[in-house]
Amino acid sequence: MVENTDPPSEFTDGTESLNRSEPLASESSSRTPGNSTSPRREPATGTSASPAAARPTADVGSLLGAFASGAPFIALVAAVETLIATVMLGVGLTVAPLVVALVTFAVYTVDHVADADADAASTPRRALLARRYGDQLMIAAALGYGAAVALSIAGGPLALALTLLPGAFWVVYASDWLPDAGRAVGAALAAAVPRGRLGAGVRAKVADGGHRRIPRLKDVLVLNSLVVATGWAAALTFLPVAFAGASVDPVMLVVFTYFLLRSFVDAELPNVRDVEADAAVGVETLPVAFGVERTRLALYGVDVLVAVVVVGAAVAGLLAWPLVGALGVGLAASVFITSLAGRVGDASILGVAPDGTYLLVGVVIAGVRLIG
Amino acid sequence: MIGLSPLSVALLAAVVTGTSGAILAWRERPDAGARWLVLLLVGQVWWTTFLVFELEASSLAVKALWYDVQWLGVVVVPVGWLLFALEYTGRDRYVNPGVVAAVCVAPAITVLVVAAGDPFGVVVANREVADTAVGSFLRVDPGPWYYVMAGYTYLLGLIGSVPILQLVRDDARPFRGQSAALIVGTAAPWVSSVVYLSGAIPVPGLDPTPLAFAVSGVAYLLALSRFRLLTLTPAPRRRARQLVFEQLHDPVFVVGTEGYVLDLNRCAAEMFEIDRRTAIGEAATAVVPRYDELRDQHGDVGPLSIVGRNGRRPYEVTVRDVTDDHGRSIGRLAVFHDVGEYLVQQQRLNVLNRVFRHDIRTETNLIRGYADRLATVPSDERALSVVKESATRIYELSERTRAASDLFDPVSEPPPPISVAELVTAAAADLRDEWPEAEVAVDDDLPDARVPATLRAVVGNLCSNAVQHNDADRPSVWIDASAANGWVQLSVADDGPGIDPEEREVLEQGTETPLEHASGVGLWIVKWGIDTIGGRVSFADREPNGTVVTLSVPVIEAAPTDADGAGSARTSAGESASETGR
Repeated sequence: MVENTDPPSEFTDGTESLNRSEPLASESSSRTPGNSTSPRREPATGTSASPAAARPTADVGSLLGAFASGAPFIALVAAVETLIATVMLGVGLTVAPLVVALVTFAVYTVDHVADADADAASTPRRALLARRYGDQLMIAAALGYGAAVALSIAGGPLALALTLLPGAFWVVYASDWLPDAGRAVGAALAAAVPRGRLGAGVRAKVADGGHRRIPRLKDVLVLNSLVVATGWAAALTFLPVAFAGASVDPVMLVVFTYFLLRSFVDAELPNVRDVEADAAVGVETLPVAFGVERTRLALYGVDVLVAVVVVGAAVAGLLAWPLVGALGVGLAASVFITSLAGRVGDASILGVAPDGTYLLVGVVIAGVRLIG
Repeated sequence: MIGLSPLSVALLAAVVTGTSGAILAWRERPDAGARWLVLLLVGQVWWTTFLVFELEASSLAVKALWYDVQWLGVVVVPVGWLLFALEYTGRDRYVNPGVVAAVCVAPAITVLVVAAGDPFGVVVANREVADTAVGSFLRVDPGPWYYVMAGYTYLLGLIGSVPILQLVRDDARPFRGQSAALIVGTAAPWVSSVVYLSGAIPVPGLDPTPLAFAVSGVAYLLALSRFRLLTLTPAPRRRARQLVFEQLHDPVFVVGTEGYVLDLNRCAAEMFEIDRRTAIGEAATAVVPRYDELRDQHGDVGPLSIVGRNGRRPYEVTVRDVTDDHGRSIGRLAVFHDVGEYLVQQQRLNVLNRVFRHDIRTETNLIRGYADRLATVPSDERALSVVKESATRIYELSERTRAASDLFDPVSEPPPPISVAELVTAAAADLRDEWPEAEVAVDDDLPDARVPATLRAVVGNLCSNAVQHNDADRPSVWIDASAANGWVQLSVADDGPGIDPEEREVLEQGTETPLEHASGVGLWIVKWGIDTIGGRVSFADREPNGTVVTLSVPVIEAAPTDADGAGSARTSAGESASETGR
């Protein structure tokens, strides 16, 4: 199933952001340890836990790290995000969080099994499990996605389409399907046009045009993170709507924008850590193109934009102020994490912390609900 | 979220298993059959999914819409099954764009007609909503094309099942398990469909086929996970066996029970210069070398001397019956093993053994005996002469043994072919130089045909023997050569006492015994050299006295120099194989 392989990049510590702009592992199994390939989020702990460290602390930390780097944790975060979206949308509780969690679990389990060898250094416990129980995990992942699809059918055609969206985005985003299709069309065109009608250069370009003219989206600056963010924002926003059977409402646009922008930040944050590795393999990211300092400023700008959208929605009466407060807590945490980009030694923070902001928002919302 | 009917809930089980199976199969690309299994399972999931939507829709129009959409999955399933079965079982040569396009014609027509609204009711003549205890679905009156597609679906299913069924009795347990699971997986919906079309379903209008997809999905999942379907496929076996048959360096013929050639491998065609297209179907006696002698044989036969592309070679032929699963003979297999190299090796060992055991030992004893005499009578000239002669013979023996060794060195690059005229002229000149008293006569009309350079040593030995063992005062040697039908006949005649019949017999048999053996290694060099180049040597008496040794040697064709000339020098003796070898 390997359709493309990136050249090996430099060793990184294996941590990933929730919205890391990388292809699925199965598409790039040769990547270096820690250069995770999941299209959305990959909170992996670093390998800094030394065996010589204090035993109890190290064990607890190691276990937490193993959990945080595993597909179940990512699925849990995705489910919490869907719950946040459900609250923001003001629709009733549905099975949407479960569907999103199942899809996330399936995608990342496949990713971890396929990348087990590459992950051995960065996430040894996860890699060990993935190697030892690879077949069982793959069956679990397949059944998980199957169950998600079956549940989504109960939500109607729109819910089904939204559930299939992550898979479709992945095909367009990470695999060589798009360049291959381009190549096939180019080759067909080159074969169809009689010899002599096209110059040699043009003929070669057309025949190979798929690769040159239609690159993988993951290799395109900004678009790579934007595609990932759009896919997940669409699923998070519209799945609860589809399951609830709600009608179109302006708040949907607010929720979609919120998750789109937040996911974009989460996707670009780990790129700061991986700037050298990405530059080595030719992946265009904001830090590679504009440097770490400018990237940090740009991400601040995106966070400010999120704040403007949320506050504006509150002013317009689309969101309740307590909810805006809860979202603000998460936003503040995001700004803080952004400020750490390029300034902290333990780069794993940039992988795990963005996930933590959603859990924080979820806890605050639950607290607000409980209080009143 | 819509409330689901019990039937819809049951159908979702098929969606879960089908989707899971499709994902697992997708992972196995590009293994044989993976993409078609994905297509099959996606078709099943598609059909089932839109049946759920149909069941849960509230109006006839919406139900009809989802019903029509289901057709895409309906027509994809048999296509996916057939192509999967062919590719998975190693019959991928049939899975080409032409075949794929052909099997997609009827499904494409169906989808187009349905997409166009089926204006003439050829697919569905009438449809109405049926509210039943298990759900509300569309009850349709099938049109004529509906039955055509049903028949087409069964036909593709049957064709696809045949190669899968063959694996049920396979020797390998994984393939038996896989095929059994696949048969269950495909039989369940097919049986359901038959039951539906026969009207045996208690709920009128309910097609339970998608429900059976749950069984299919479980079976396919089992095959994928438990029996490693697609990870462990039988597809390469078929190709591998064909490859072994084709690439075998021994000629192989398959002959039917009626005595006609059914198949032969590439080596057989090349070695015996046979056109495969015309040979198949011909009588074995006209195609297979020496088939008359093989017809009633079993096991190893031979060695048989057969002329082929490389000249005359000894072949040991293994004849085996080809039997079916019931042990009945359905043909015969004849495998020709060229044992020339092996026989020569064996002969060389025997001769070298004899050289050390007999010739050198005899000479050594002679030297020791006369050395003792010289110790007591240092002035004995005769004893001194015998010692010198004996030592000279040992030296010559070692020289000839080394020449033989060089001659048959398999590692060294063979020298380029030489012309007969050049070879004979050089041999005569050498003979005159070495034996000035000898009369050497050479035929004036020597052919210019090219022969293997190995022949130089062979002819040199023959000429040398003709003079060395000649008791005439003025030994005479006649060298003659002619070429015809791809062969060169080269004869060396002398007026000596002739070769001992026992020695000739030893050479012809190729085996020495302690009591029956040749003298020296000169004639052996002749025989081995001729055998190596695929020629033949014969001995005859010359009147009034002497011997005529005749060599038959294949002519070497010049290497082609045209653009596609990839060939190197090769003998043309095979062209006359029909005359000499069969």
